[in-house]
Amino acid sequence: MSEQDSSEGAPKTGGGAPDDPSRRRMLKVGIGVLGGGVAAVCAVPAIGFVGFPLTHEVTSSGDGFLTVGKRSQFSAEAPVKVDLYASRRDAWTRVDSVKVGSAWVLEHEGKLVAYSTTCPHLGCAVDFDGNDSVFKCPCHRSEFKLDGVAASGPSPRPLDTLEIREEEGLVAIRFQRFRQGIAEKVEV
Amino acid sequence: MDWLDDRIGIKALLGGALDEDVPGGARMRYVFGSVLVYLFMQQVVLGILLAFYYSPSAASAWASTAYLNDQVTGGWFLRGLHHHGSSAMVVVTVLHLLQVVWAGAYRKPREVNWWSGLGMAGIVLAFALTGYLLPWDQKGYWATQVATGIMGTVPGGEPMQQLVQGGHEYGNLTITRFFAIHVFVLPLALAGLLGLHLWVFRKHGVTPPADLSEEELVQKTQPFWPNQLFLDVLAMALCGAALVGLTVYTHGAELYAPADPASNFVARPEWYFLFLFQLLKYFDGPLQIIATVIIPGAVAAVLLALPFLDRSPDRKPRGRMKVLAFVGALMAGVVALTALAIVEDANKESYREGVELAKQQAERARELAKEGVLPAGGTAVFDNDPKQKTRLLFQEHCATCHTIEGKGGNEAPTFDGYGTREWLTALVRNPADKRFFGGAKGHDTMEPTPKDSLSDEQLAAVVEYMVYLQGDQSEVDKALVEKGKTVWENDAECSGCHEVEAGAEGVGPTLAGRGTTAWVARVIADSSAPDLFGDTAQMPKFGDKLTQEQITALAEFVTSAGTQ
Ligand code: HEM
Ligand code: HEM
Ligand code: FES
Repeated sequence: MSEQDSSEGAPKTGGGAPDDPSRRRMLKVGIGVLGGGVAAVCAVPAIGFVGFPLTHEVTSSGDGFLTVGKRSQFSAEAPVKVDLYASRRDAWTRVDSVKVGSAWVLEHEGKLVAYSTTCPHLGCAVDFDGNDSVFKCPCHRSEFKLDGVAASGPSPRPLDTLEIREEEGLVAIRFQRFRQGIAEKVEV
Repeated sequence: MDWLDDRIGIKALLGGALDEDVPGGARMRYVFGSVLVYLFMQQVVLGILLAFYYSPSAASAWASTAYLNDQVTGGWFLRGLHHHGSSAMVVVTVLHLLQVVWAGAYRKPREVNWWSGLGMAGIVLAFALTGYLLPWDQKGYWATQVATGIMGTVPGGEPMQQLVQGGHEYGNLTITRFFAIHVFVLPLALAGLLGLHLWVFRKHGVTPPADLSEEELVQKTQPFWPNQLFLDVLAMALCGAALVGLTVYTHGAELYAPADPASNFVARPEWYFLFLFQLLKYFDGPLQIIATVIIPGAVAAVLLALPFLDRSPDRKPRGRMKVLAFVGALMAGVVALTALAIVEDANKESYREGVELAKQQAERARELAKEGVLPAGGTAVFDNDPKQKTRLLFQEHCATCHTIEGKGGNEAPTFDGYGTREWLTALVRNPADKRFFGGAKGHDTMEPTPKDSLSDEQLAAVVEYMVYLQGDQSEVDKALVEKGKTVWENDAECSGCHEVEAGAEGVGPTLAGRGTTAWVARVIADSSAPDLFGDTAQMPKFGDKLTQEQITALAEFVTSAGTQ
């Protein structure tokens, strides 16, 4: 709050006439540079801030292997439907034990396999018919054999297998979703 | 530029804004108003950016603020700027007011300028007050409680308080109200008043120094563009640089632990409200209203009436000594009260400890928040604490029968003091006590051992031997162990049921390794193993229901209840 005239020492021009042009130019450039700097203080960090979801996983649900049960629960006799539970992250929120999907698990030719219950045609939940020993989709009657191959109906590809892992007698599945309605299995 | 001008007449618009004479020349002391405009615009931009992440509800306000501050790129910086920018606005508003008072710019014909300015000063304080609550952390929550509490104590203030906080208590409606006021009502109100303020200012022009003659004023006149604007922008840049420096230095704004209505917290308002807080200390009970309404009201009334109270013939400071003295005394009072509040707190042990504790809690909460906060939000962040997770697991699966930390059922042994010498002694003496197997129906396999079959002295030795058998030999009394071993082999009847070799089967569990975390974990998984409780086992098997990690954590929880 000084009472000092800050323009003192600058060339005085009377009667409201402007200063000499070069000084005026300098002031204008100064205004541009300082003003730009002031604006940049917010504008520059704002880019990374607003664009954060482009470069970071903001939501996630069970990307890893999810335990579904003991090895002894599964056999070659009939597939068992298991629900997959995982923690779901949504920005600042975490929900524990939400059902993220389900899978059919069975032993086929001595090996454990897991099929996504999501029909590769248009995404209905595939059932198992114990009498005929086939998987049947209730929506458009696609049928799949125990090895997952589409036996009849509109499904463009076999049932989608999920990665499965055995560890210390426990079975774990990695849950994924795939694009529907196309012949290739492409993760979404 | 020409293209644009042809279409929207931009040159005339800019010219209208910039073509103006500054009688007496450009001066640094005219910059405060412009710096305030800049700060306000910056707060608007920053506030809008914060709102990209901030979520106004009791469950999500804290968690979203922690997320934006600690996880989003640059979040701490932008939030820090908004936080310190709010302090800067308060400071510069005061400087601007002081310059206006010094110049005598409140006088006729600029009364409306003065009043709209006072209105804006009130709005700035309202911004600061409403914003402070939004993170819903301990500090904002408790400090704002005090402010709305004061509102409730003034006559007729109760309905006001309820209206402002949306009910009798703080909750979702408090946040949505404060949020709506902070981001919609106040910005619009401030922008509207600012429009009036600037319109009136342009009508009357700047108030030049009173000691310059008419000729000097004309002779020294400079154009606003670029001379005064350069000074204005220079001041903005200095202010901006100071804000950036402060934000980096403090690493942004503080964020305390989530608001916990059940806690007690050393509530302090933001520094610019400390003088009111201090003033309140001098007026107790029925006199409180003097500090909350009468003094602030009187000051506001005098300020509002200033254009009429000042009867001096001209603007020269010498003729307006009374006004200057009043405003000077006011400032001195505010500064003195603020200093007193700070000094008193600095000397108060309990306050310093409270702040230290709050900071530790804040750090812990923010670390835990990185795993995501459960949907209940706020203090639910502490459920991420591994110990708390285990505690919840215990509550869910074990507490119907077992007690720990004083909570739970008594149909199975209690774990407080688990495995200590005292616990073991009491167990051997009377296993049928409710503290041990008494609550478990039918679990009466273990016989009591009265004093006439085993003296206190003998039992102490046996207990020492049992502790030794657990496997940790560092903290046992060797001589006592030897004695205990002899008693065990010759006098005690325990060996009829309990073995002392690892894995050996008996009616009761073998004592080798008994009570260790690994042993407890085996009991949790399946207590009916032959070297554990065998046929007498009654506890459900958790090997299938819980993961190995969970079981180990529970076992640690149980054994650590004996070391506390
Ligand atoms: C957010 C708050 C405010 C903003 C953005 C603001 C903005 C401005 C601006 C840009 C000017 C013109 C240049 C200058 O002299 O600085 C001005 C002038 C003025 N302001 Fe403010 N102002 C604010 C608060 C206040 C307050 C709190 C008061 C007094 C109570 C006040 C009283 C005045 C007066 C009387 C003038 C005329 C100055 C003169 O004639 O020289 N303003 N204000
Ligand atoms: C349109 C204008 C504004 C918008 C949209 C806005 C928005 C916000 C939002 C969303 C928050 C919560 C985020 C957080 O707490 O970190 C916040 C906090 C805050 N705002 Fe504003 N704000 C605006 C203007 C202002 C102004 C003008 C001031 C002060 C004069 C101010 C002072 C505060 C304060 C003190 C906080 C608390 C910051 C902290 O966490 O420490 N705001 N604002
Ligand atoms: S969705 Fe399964 S057959 Fe169409």
